[in-house]
Amino acid sequence: MSTERDVQQTLCRMCDDRCGIDVHLEDGRMVDIVGNKAHVWNKGRLCVKARAAIDMAYHPDRLLAPLKRTADGWQEIPLAQALDEIAARLTQIKERDGARSVSVWKGEAIGFGQQEDIARRFIHAFGSPNYLSNDSMCYAARYFGYKLVDGAWPVADLENARVIVMWGANPPHAHPNMTQYITAARRKGAKLVVVDPRLSAIARRADVHAQPHPGTDGALAWGLMRELIRTGGYDREFVERHTVGFPELSAYAATFTPEMVEQETGVPAATVIELAALMAESAPRVSMYVGNGLEHHENGVNNIRAVVSLDALVGAVDREGGNRFVQPAPLRTLTLYDDVPLEHLGPLGADRFPVLYDLRQECHTMTAMGAILEGDPYPLRAMVLTGANPLLTNPNTERVRQAFESLDLLVVRELFMTETASLAHYVLPAASFLERSELHTHAKHQAVTLTRRVCDFPDVQDEYQFWHDLAHRLDMGAYFPWDDETALNRWLLEPSGLTLEELEAHPEGVTYSPLAPPPLERGPFMTSSGKVEFASRYLKDLGYDELPVYKSPEYRGTPDDEYPFVLMTGARKLLYLHSRFRNIPRFRTAVPGPEVEMHPDDARALGVAEGDTVTVTSRIGNVTIPVHVVSPEEIRPGELQITHGWSEANVNLLTHDDRFDPISGFPLMKSVEVRVTKVGAGE
Amino acid sequence: MRIVAVDPDACVACRNCEYACAFRQTGDFDRTRSHIRVNYHPAERACVPLTCMHCAEAWCMEVCPAGAISRNAETGAVEIDKDHCAGCKMCLLACPFGNIGFDSTHGVSRKCDLCGGDPRCVGSCTSGALEYVEENDAFAFKRDALDAKLRQALRLDRGRR
Repeated sequence: MSTERDVQQTLCRMCDDRCGIDVHLEDGRMVDIVGNKAHVWNKGRLCVKARAAIDMAYHPDRLLAPLKRTADGWQEIPLAQALDEIAARLTQIKERDGARSVSVWKGEAIGFGQQEDIARRFIHAFGSPNYLSNDSMCYAARYFGYKLVDGAWPVADLENARVIVMWGANPPHAHPNMTQYITAARRKGAKLVVVDPRLSAIARRADVHAQPHPGTDGALAWGLMRELIRTGGYDREFVERHTVGFPELSAYAATFTPEMVEQETGVPAATVIELAALMAESAPRVSMYVGNGLEHHENGVNNIRAVVSLDALVGAVDREGGNRFVQPAPLRTLTLYDDVPLEHLGPLGADRFPVLYDLRQECHTMTAMGAILEGDPYPLRAMVLTGANPLLTNPNTERVRQAFESLDLLVVRELFMTETASLAHYVLPAASFLERSELHTHAKHQAVTLTRRVCDFPDVQDEYQFWHDLAHRLDMGAYFPWDDETALNRWLLEPSGLTLEELEAHPEGVTYSPLAPPPLERGPFMTSSGKVEFASRYLKDLGYDELPVYKSPEYRGTPDDEYPFVLMTGARKLLYLHSRFRNIPRFRTAVPGPEVEMHPDDARALGVAEGDTVTVTSRIGNVTIPVHVVSPEEIRPGELQITHGWSEANVNLLTHDDRFDPISGFPLMKSVEVRVTKVGAGE
Repeated sequence: MRIVAVDPDACVACRNCEYACAFRQTGDFDRTRSHIRVNYHPAERACVPLTCMHCAEAWCMEVCPAGAISRNAETGAVEIDKDHCAGCKMCLLACPFGNIGFDSTHGVSRKCDLCGGDPRCVGSCTSGALEYVEENDAFAFKRDALDAKLRQALRLDRGRR
């Protein structure tokens, strides 16, 4: 019998880059994944995570049946029974403690856009404002930085830039195919500047690698602003016509002399002057990109605002080779914030971090732990969590564990029995991205792609079907009228004028509106003043500084003999994404386990060598972990890095869930004071 | 013929190519089994990807006493026939670039075969440092880069005058 071969074109969702892929099938079984050479984003190139999607989908440990926790351990139950029981429990808890005692937590693994909005729709239809996600510690702080200054988060026009500045971002590991855009610009003569405490993969190609101490990026940005203003290298016309707060900005910048910046950040004064000159001569083709590295600090949002303010100083806002505002896809939206406003119910964290809820309708996961454990500000008793593993990814793991263990109902949808799933009352098998069809937008290219269902497993529901079936059991079926995700996709697409058939015929992406040339007449900007806001009235009214005032990280203050090192966490690695993919055997061959990255001088002082084990201790807890002694250029003495997501040495046992950026509410995770002791050396 | 052109100035030593090649050879991610090798030197920030150039005058092929090395008529790749390789390692010695490896499990030499005309290293190179291109113009990107830089320099120069 001959083998039936087929190729299905869809998108990879092993990370959020969503590269175009060709999935090769033999007799309906996936056998290979290669890049879709026509796709707008990746142009045929793929990182090695993509092919591993097959291993993930067919993994022997894949959960394929609903599980219920019983006194005798896990019991397999029929899907319909599981949904009936979950619906009954949710109804009971709602009647007892109110709808707001129930929450939804949507993980990174599920994706954003459409899937995020379905989860938001569900919990709002249920009557609770408590939508939780990884966004209260990733992405949103950068959104605020751009939204507050520019009125929107533009995309970096890397390929047309004359200078690219990567702030705390390492595309080769975090967004692999962004690297080819940087290469394209460099081949046209662009200079690359990388601002990162570590000599990251992208820093290997940098013309200038500025190596600030963790969390001091804001001081560097202010130093660059001072130089641009002092030398007259800024775009006067743009500043005069399109910004508010320049006098205040200018006055505040004055103290950030190159010498002061060197003292605070460790970046040499001469480098500050050199970078400012490079930006001035390249303006407005200065394309800056801010990564997650700037978010997890006590001063994250203001550091990001300072960087974004630089864009405006060099006139790079909405300019070719700078950054560009893009039009969102004209799709219908699924959220119910206008139809069913629930702000009066006190979304968790909205009182402490009003910006987080006001601008992103995001609740605060760290506050949720207090609601579960202490009933503060009110009891949270139930959670339906999908595609997340907060037991490895949220700060202060011990408290997360206690919180999840004390919920009256925890439902987890997952591919595998994760640390978080193992605490659930019900574990439901979830569909991977290869088992659902959804709309994706590539904002940079203003293109929409429809993904397709490449394989199926019985009893494994796609996200939409799950929310739909549960909603219909909870008398809120009216909010989920579409029979399946195809019907939903069709409804979402309707106002765009595009059809599902058209998208199916073009898996490389369909442009919904071509990116227009930058307008000659800029503005009004989508801020409250209609201008780029160096000083924010909105923040001032909420009681914050109106300027992105720089706050030196706490660890930079008085040296603490008890915790002499500063630990960065969460640096991205190519093969793993947050807590995922540790069960792909060949990934383990390549990168077998966790490690703490350490400067050779520190290793020598501690008497440890490559592979030796140390205990790293913070005020929160400790982990025991092997040492990786890096080259002296790769990290500064006194600074360490541990990547998150390893159950063997979970760095979030060390991170703080009570020290926040005051605007975003993001936890301090990239400048944690720690001490290090050699194992067997007496701790 | 087409070859895998390498651009050390674009390489970030992310190791995607090594993993992809090793996976094709062995189903695993042991980088030492990759035919393309990337050396990284932090002090110089140098990334050096090296793979077989499929030399027009392939010394490995000439020196092979077993006649196990031949040129693929379709792709032009210089390939080792494992069934005929005697494991004498003369090809390793002959290659001026050190781009031939040895599979001690099977006792045979091993090298790049361009994956039959769709090299996996290139498909997984997210920096764009590797290109599968006609040898006649394999390093056109260098010329293009110089062209762009000169053009920009001239534009700047005009701007000053």
